[in-house]
Amino acid sequence: MKLAGIIVSVGLLLALAGCGGTGEQVVKVALVCPLTGDIAAHGQGMKRGFEMAIEDANAAHKLGAAKIEAAIFDDRGDPKEAVTIANQIISDRAIIGVIGHLNSGCSIPASRIYEKRNVPMITPASTNPKLTMQGYKNVFRVCGTDDVQGSWAGNYVLDTLKYNQVVVVHDKTPYGQGLAEEFQKQIVARGGIVTSFNGIDQGEKDFKALLTRIKTENPQVLFFGGLYAEAGLITKQMKELGLAVPLMGGDGMFSNEFARIAGPASEGDFATMVGLPPSKLPQAADFLARYAAKYPGQDMQPYDPYTYDAATLLLDAYAKVNQNRDSLIAAIAGTTYDGILGRTTFDERGDTRNKQISIYHIKDGRFAYYEHK
Amino acid sequence: MFIQQLINGLTLGSIYALFALGYTMVYGILLMINFAHSEIFMVGAYVGFWVLSALPFLFPQITPLYLLIVFVLAMVVTGALAAFMERTAYRPLRHAPRLAPLISAIGVSIFLQNIIMLTVGAESQPYPQTMQLEQMEFGGIRLNTLQIFIFVLAVSLMVILQLFITRTKLGKAMRAVAQNHIVSQLMGINTNTIIAVTFFIGGGLGGVAGVLNGLYYGSIKYNMGFLPGIKAFTAAVLGGIGNIKGAMIGGFILGVLEALAAGYISSEYKDVIAFVVLIFVLLFKPTGLFGEEVAEKI
Repeated sequence: MKLAGIIVSVGLLLALAGCGGTGEQVVKVALVCPLTGDIAAHGQGMKRGFEMAIEDANAAHKLGAAKIEAAIFDDRGDPKEAVTIANQIISDRAIIGVIGHLNSGCSIPASRIYEKRNVPMITPASTNPKLTMQGYKNVFRVCGTDDVQGSWAGNYVLDTLKYNQVVVVHDKTPYGQGLAEEFQKQIVARGGIVTSFNGIDQGEKDFKALLTRIKTENPQVLFFGGLYAEAGLITKQMKELGLAVPLMGGDGMFSNEFARIAGPASEGDFATMVGLPPSKLPQAADFLARYAAKYPGQDMQPYDPYTYDAATLLLDAYAKVNQNRDSLIAAIAGTTYDGILGRTTFDERGDTRNKQISIYHIKDGRFAYYEHK
Repeated sequence: MFIQQLINGLTLGSIYALFALGYTMVYGILLMINFAHSEIFMVGAYVGFWVLSALPFLFPQITPLYLLIVFVLAMVVTGALAAFMERTAYRPLRHAPRLAPLISAIGVSIFLQNIIMLTVGAESQPYPQTMQLEQMEFGGIRLNTLQIFIFVLAVSLMVILQLFITRTKLGKAMRAVAQNHIVSQLMGINTNTIIAVTFFIGGGLGGVAGVLNGLYYGSIKYNMGFLPGIKAFTAAVLGGIGNIKGAMIGGFILGVLEALAAGYISSEYKDVIAFVVLIFVLLFKPTGLFGEEVAEKI
């Protein structure tokens, strides 16, 4: 009893010191994304966007006297790790909301954990539609989805490239397979031919056996649902085998790392992206200039502006409800936010209504925006 | 298409076979599965990567010699690393229960992976391309110089190893130690040296396999050894673990099986098919294709 008493009083003292000592209140916002591993280039970019958002919010005293702190976690793109981190986050009461995760395979299981404690989660990058179809009130998404992206890519192949014979390869993850299925659905629905639908393993390096067979099917384009590391190896091996057709993929391979791995073999390959290029949006000019000044020599990755917008949107909503956590989720749901990427409003599932797709192709070893009619 | 798949499979199989030799040699002499061998392969690839990146700055002229320097350095470094591993992590446990060195090997493997991940980074690194790739085409079959090089290098290293084991005094000593540690010690063989030499050679061949893997696929990563490590170990078991010829043949068979399964049946099921074949071989021939019945060691 006596010991318990001491522990309680020490605890109280510490708690008092924690908030009363400096007179400064701390509000934490979490970012969870892969900072290491196969898709670390995207995750590191998200971290840069996130840090800028927190800095700007502090500079603008968005939450009055309260100081905003970034709590950044690395889930390595691994669903098991994502769940562990989600549990860590819900046990930290100072964290008001989560920005993340990147991989759909991580976001979906983690969202169940945030839902238990009503912690809002805004993903800037997970594109699998299933994420917001679970009926959770706390889950939001500021980027487009694979049903839109996959069918857009299908239409692009049929209408603009004028190809009607395609082959589909995916990496068996919720993101890669989901996107590949949406693409296949669109092609088949419009009378195109999918010569075969093939899964590969993430981390595998030799795709030559599969590609040799694909070559005999005479596809006009290979669509890949997956991430840039495997995409780079596939396009390289395709060209080594004399399968000289373009590779096309989604936002997961949209990184210049793709061309770095594949070398000149990637020239002319395509990637779609869920959103318009920031360089074409007038309201993004200021962000782009400040980003280039703050991180000289760093390539902007596809999700940096989304992460910036997601974090700013969350803090705006928190300020609007006078830092009352109970009404935060409702405030996000009802938000109208004008950010770098245009106006974000959420539909009843938590998806943004701003779902635009753009397409890029590799030119001189880098992805370049491809104007289409 | 069949011949093309055969070429794909033989290239892949050459790397598996070289890699498998390290598992089989260590098992032959110590009855121990060296799980850290997959990290020797990875370190070999990184040594090759550093040497290839540094060489153009040091000697801009001698391009044709690059590959020789790369392979010799990678072999020496990984061989030394394997021998060092044996000295520090396995030798003190030689008389411990057989599970102890196995666990120690897993520890070494995790240690090496993390060291590389923390010091070099967790991202894939593109491998420097120094070889001018000559693509050849015969009646729709594509073949490049690198594939021929990998196959020729692997086969010649294996022939040299086989001659070394059967024709030299050191090789004879290795065979003696494999048969019986105590008796060979009584015959005046320094078993510790012989075991260290075995690790050195097995490690060096694993390092060469790592460089070949980097050159062929063009990207490397800290955990690149894991998947091929399992395949190479499988190849060693398929051929009959402990048997050097078996490891070579096992590597080629596994590579070709994978290519044919992915090419004719399904890329998703290629590992399932390859491993079902392995199970069948072991059901009918538990010692592997080339494994001999060895009298129980007492």
